[in-house]
Amino acid sequence: MSTAHQPVGSGDGFVVDIDRFQGPLELLLHLIREQDIDIFDIPISRITNQFLEVVREIEAHDLDSAGSFLELAATLVRIKAQMILPRPMEEDDEDPRAELVRRLLEYEQIREITHRLGRAEAERARRRSKGYLEDRPRPSFEDVPLETEWEEVLAAALEVSLPEPFDSDHRVTPRTISMEEKSHLILSSLGLGPGSGSGAGSATGVEFRRLLEPFREKMHGVMTFLAGLELSRRRRVLLRQSGPFKELWIYPRDEEDAEDAAKGEDAVDSSGASPVGSATDTPTHPGAGAPGGDADR
Amino acid sequence: MKPYQIVEAVLFASDAPLRSDEIARADESLDEDIVEQSLEELRTFYLESERAYDLVELAEGYQILTRPEFVPYLERFDNVPRPSRLSGPALEALAIIAYRQPIGRLEVEHIRGVGSSGVIRTLQDRGLIEVVGRSEGLGRPLLYGTTTRFLEHFGFQSLEDLPRPEELPVVLRDRTAPIFPEDGRPPEGAVAAVGDAGADDAGPAPAENSSREEA
Repeated sequence: MSTAHQPVGSGDGFVVDIDRFQGPLELLLHLIREQDIDIFDIPISRITNQFLEVVREIEAHDLDSAGSFLELAATLVRIKAQMILPRPMEEDDEDPRAELVRRLLEYEQIREITHRLGRAEAERARRRSKGYLEDRPRPSFEDVPLETEWEEVLAAALEVSLPEPFDSDHRVTPRTISMEEKSHLILSSLGLGPGSGSGAGSATGVEFRRLLEPFREKMHGVMTFLAGLELSRRRRVLLRQSGPFKELWIYPRDEEDAEDAAKGEDAVDSSGASPVGSATDTPTHPGAGAPGGDADR
Repeated sequence: MKPYQIVEAVLFASDAPLRSDEIARADESLDEDIVEQSLEELRTFYLESERAYDLVELAEGYQILTRPEFVPYLERFDNVPRPSRLSGPALEALAIIAYRQPIGRLEVEHIRGVGSSGVIRTLQDRGLIEVVGRSEGLGRPLLYGTTTRFLEHFGFQSLEDLPRPEELPVVLRDRTAPIFPEDGRPPEGAVAAVGDAGADDAGPAPAENSSREEA
């Protein structure tokens, strides 16, 4: 919490500057001391509400710091619940607040000691020795003694074997739907195709959807579409839609079209009527589809 | 050559505190007793003459250090560097470790209420704390304690110089779990039951010592 924040109101007029607190215990102690609350009889409900109010503000500004605050907040809520719920009063039952009080007092003592250390440090710093060298941080690597020998480590490493291949009852057979297959399908439905000569196909195209009719799985649709794109890239077909989300049509392209298209390659126009997928850099997808999934793909 | 001169020469040339047995290594004519005597002579001599330095006892040894009043003059020079001070969180973690050593990280974090691995790392890198062992608990976590350098940094002669609990304004009532370890290092924290503000019987019974275990 290093950025400046507005002081936070805790709802009952008690204002807290959240930047000051580097930890939840410090905040809690502050709330108690500033309101002159008897630490041995903390009004847990009021304190919990105030604490939560501040924590919400911290969360809003700085989520990272909020973590440790949330932990103490949870503790406070638990104590509050314990105080409210009726409990059978045994002689040796401890006040639910006792552990918290102990922690707070200990922390307060630590704070005081910390201040004393700070002053001692400052006093010492006013004296200098001859050739004074500053404590530069020196990473030390000898902290944790190694308890193994290198030979042991090496032997352990050599013994490591790869895990057994995972054997499962469920076997999925990849069904290959090749793009070549789909290319032939497209071309033959257009009357083009090997042996049918160039440009000898029908001028009317075929609706993309028609090509998918005999098939159930989506993978067919995917591969057919990819084949169409590839054929378009090779200037064998044109892909057309009259508008977005309208039916997709595939038209044959004859040689002249191919030449024209080659000349007009730079003029790519993305209006509705232009062929979809021409002059793209669609990479060639080799045939194998992914393992033929079901319709949940 | 008088013994005190040899001692003075050795101290002058050193940039860290030296123990009397270390100083005695300078010559066969020296032993610890002679060194100690010489040190006392030097200390008195410096005090009584108008020196700019003192013979200071710290970190279980001795060192010649300039008197505090001269620091404004020294600070004008770049090659008399300013010692870098510890951050608040680092001081806090260090205070806990100093009083509760040997202590592990998790317990430090519990007392502070925040994560402390970063500050512990910093304190280690600065040589102020070191690993002194491992706890018997689950995972055998590392335990930390302060170093001689810690004493140097704060100008303490020994851990006895740490502020005693009865000197602190906040005192605890009926504490069954003293904050200081029972073995007396630092001195036992048997705190007198000087009441805080408040009634005699209003307080809850404090928790047992049981909650001190490593998580």
